[in-house]
Amino acid sequence: MGLLAQALASGVVTGAIYALIALSLVIVYKSTDVINFAGGDVLMASCYVALLALISAGLPYWASALAAVGAAAVIGAGFDRLVLERIGRSVRGQDVLVAMVTATIGLSYVLKGAVRLLSVSSEVRSLPSQFLGPPIILGSVILLRQDIGILATAAITGAALFAFYRFTRLGRGMRAVAEDPRAAALIGIPIVRMRMLSWAVACAVAAVAGLLVAPKILMTPDMGIIVILAFAAAVIGGFTNFPGVVIGGLLLGIIENLVACTSRRKRSRWRRSSSSWWC
Amino acid sequence: MRRTALAVVAAAVVAVPLLSTDYGVYLANTLLVSGVLAIGLDILLGLAGQFAFAHIAFFGIGVYATGLLTNRFSLTFPLPLLVGATLATGVALLIAIPALRLRQVYLALTTYAFAAVAQWVFHSWDAVTSGANGLRMSPTVLFRWHLIDDRDAYPLLVVIGLVMVGARALLENSRLGLAMKAVHESEPVALASGIDARRTKIVAFGISGCYAGIAGGMLPLFTSYIHPDTLGLETLVGILTMVVVGGLGSTWGVLAGVVVMGLLPELLRDLQVLRELVYGAVLMLAVMFMPRGIAGLAHRSAS
Repeated sequence: MGLLAQALASGVVTGAIYALIALSLVIVYKSTDVINFAGGDVLMASCYVALLALISAGLPYWASALAAVGAAAVIGAGFDRLVLERIGRSVRGQDVLVAMVTATIGLSYVLKGAVRLLSVSSEVRSLPSQFLGPPIILGSVILLRQDIGILATAAITGAALFAFYRFTRLGRGMRAVAEDPRAAALIGIPIVRMRMLSWAVACAVAAVAGLLVAPKILMTPDMGIIVILAFAAAVIGGFTNFPGVVIGGLLLGIIENLVACTSRRKRSRWRRSSSSWWC
Repeated sequence: MRRTALAVVAAAVVAVPLLSTDYGVYLANTLLVSGVLAIGLDILLGLAGQFAFAHIAFFGIGVYATGLLTNRFSLTFPLPLLVGATLATGVALLIAIPALRLRQVYLALTTYAFAAVAQWVFHSWDAVTSGANGLRMSPTVLFRWHLIDDRDAYPLLVVIGLVMVGARALLENSRLGLAMKAVHESEPVALASGIDARRTKIVAFGISGCYAGIAGGMLPLFTSYIHPDTLGLETLVGILTMVVVGGLGSTWGVLAGVVVMGLLPELLRDLQVLRELVYGAVLMLAVMFMPRGIAGLAHRSAS
């Protein structure tokens, strides 16, 4: 029973991170109809931006985190405006999806390649956690302060996102473009700018997820592989439905932790590369 | 123009084993396998317009089936490859029936999940695939000859490649090929003109799987080892980029894409760390500035 409760608690934390990454994928998909295979690499690159700001520039943590989120937003907006816009204009019909997905694969390689050029990426690093202190014990469950911090940050980010899309003029404009670009253009919403902003928001969310997950795992230029699990979460949640995606992420995290804590089966190398740094 | 191009290609094909080093012949062999894989993927993607990622799984089925039949029953050459191709086609058809109820992003993600499961099976079914240790495959037997090295296998691979390209050319303007193009352009219009869109898509999936299975069967002709790690998303992405850079739906374009994107990593070998960066940049620039791929460029410069 204690083990089960512990697995549930850890699962919710893991799941919250999956949910954030999945939200990022879904924002991109809803606004531009693209499966963003570079989502995990944007997360990875922004973690390295934070690391550089912390170590090389000696900035305080909050400034480094801000730099990471800002860098991710710029990457996202730039990629949409410079690459996807152009493809959208020159490729016709159903092949647009294929061309755009290929472009995100290109971006994924570019980001990994660029990070590998940094000297900090040659050794395995980790970001410091901001939530330190002794663990909190609730009955038989041990909660790390770090985990509580992750959950709180993810919840605040999610809530801010919902509020932004529901109550602000800008957020509503972005939703309108996602819903029906032609109708949105007719009532005067600048669709090109809205799409660019959607990419910026999505990548910023991925960066937040990266900052949360990086203290728990080892940072390498290949850490973007985590996006695979976020894809699964997004699919469980229906891929276009925000609350569904959050539930999908939490479910996936819980299931993963339950399976990991109950099965004694040895893990092969292939499994390790995708998911098992958690337990 | 066309004739000179054909002559150049033919000369290159003949010249490879005569002039090149062993490594060059090996490279040519891998390009031939990639070529068959890419044409197969293009039948689904470029001809029928279905964005699916399961291709690599069918390739894996072809490799393992061929390798295991040669290992355990010492069957002679065409048989293991044919069985592997049949198996791959069968699985492709089975997958197609539920998968093709979905479209676009859902089809892509579901078939990707299938490919991941297939890779897991190759990795974990120790009794058959010898799992994470990879599978050693004995040399192919053709009548009385044993194909030991790349030079032995090359002519055979060229013949198989030619047959597959020929089959693709026949498909282009056949009734089935035209039906696939119609489904690609617009499914409602295809339905309205009496085309069974669902059946057409399933057949396209099957043919595409058959190509992947045959490509899988070609691999053990010149390699003696397969590891499940090579049957993952990365390899599939490599093939996808060949198809997209070459030009969706154009056989010559796809083959040009195979040569260009297949040789690019070799050219970038000296760049070390920059390799990934340059490869990714080439990929992005290619989709940005060549909307119809290399085929589109050739078309534009010809007219």
